[in-house]
Amino acid sequence: MKNNKKISIWEAYLTKEIGIEFKACLYFFAILFFYCVYRVVCGVYDASILHMTEMIFTCYIIGYIQVYLFGNFDEAEKLNGKEIAGFIVCTALYVLVSVIGKWFDGNAVAVLAFAAYLLVTYGCVFLIYKTKRKIDDKKLNEDLKLFQAEHKK
Amino acid sequence: MNIDIKQINEGEDSVVIRYKELTPQINRILNAVNGDDNRLKGKTDDGDVFVSPDEILYLESVDDKVFAYTVDKVVRIDGSLSSFMNETDDESFFRCSKSMVINIGRVSALKSLSSNRIDATMEGGEHIIISRRYASEFRRLLKGDR
Repeated sequence: MKNNKKISIWEAYLTKEIGIEFKACLYFFAILFFYCVYRVVCGVYDASILHMTEMIFTCYIIGYIQVYLFGNFDEAEKLNGKEIAGFIVCTALYVLVSVIGKWFDGNAVAVLAFAAYLLVTYGCVFLIYKTKRKIDDKKLNEDLKLFQAEHKK
Repeated sequence: MNIDIKQINEGEDSVVIRYKELTPQINRILNAVNGDDNRLKGKTDDGDVFVSPDEILYLESVDDKVFAYTVDKVVRIDGSLSSFMNETDDESFFRCSKSMVINIGRVSALKSLSSNRIDATMEGGEHIIISRRYASEFRRLLKGDR
């Protein structure tokens, strides 16, 4: 342990920033999928560049809100008050932007379905991260046992 | 440090150590004379004690004082966490935060937390969080990639 290679504050910040960008991409694709399905159902086979631009910027900004205001709720250990509030507030913000930006042409049913879809997406992402950590636990403990066996005197 | 070595023809062998402050170097010499090369000299409420690195679960720095925690006692040792890390040859000791060093050999379980942090459960049941800044290095160490 003579040469500690711990990451610097700059690297820690960059890791967080990349995490937010990853989140923005993840939710953008999820929202785009719903949007495309809605357009296809309506018999429209092209997507609006303006809508997509609004989506990506919204995802990016809400990514910051998720991480800095609601403690990264989709990656949380447990769903407590703050996390549930995050689920609801962020979903509401997406819905608000979709209404203002007319992503679903003012169709109330589509907007409601979009809200439900977002809640399910957040729930799925939460479960995916939880499962990922469980797998990581197993790997970490295997590595720990190996390390301890190798360093046993 | 002046070293004064004198060969004698009769009488009992003796070692005299004169110091102003009990530095880690003096501690090592004391340990070597006592035949306890790896043991650390520290203080508890009951007086001076020697503690083997294997016994230590973790070390913590509080107000510039370093405490070594074993299963049943807390020992104040001289020096800083950095000097401890520089002097120990034992790869099992890992700096897991600014103020803590854990003995990986005495970790009973690890749990992956959000934001790439790790929760280490020590044999004594204490939970120590390895912060994100140190977690990547910790993972590399466990894999032997360092």
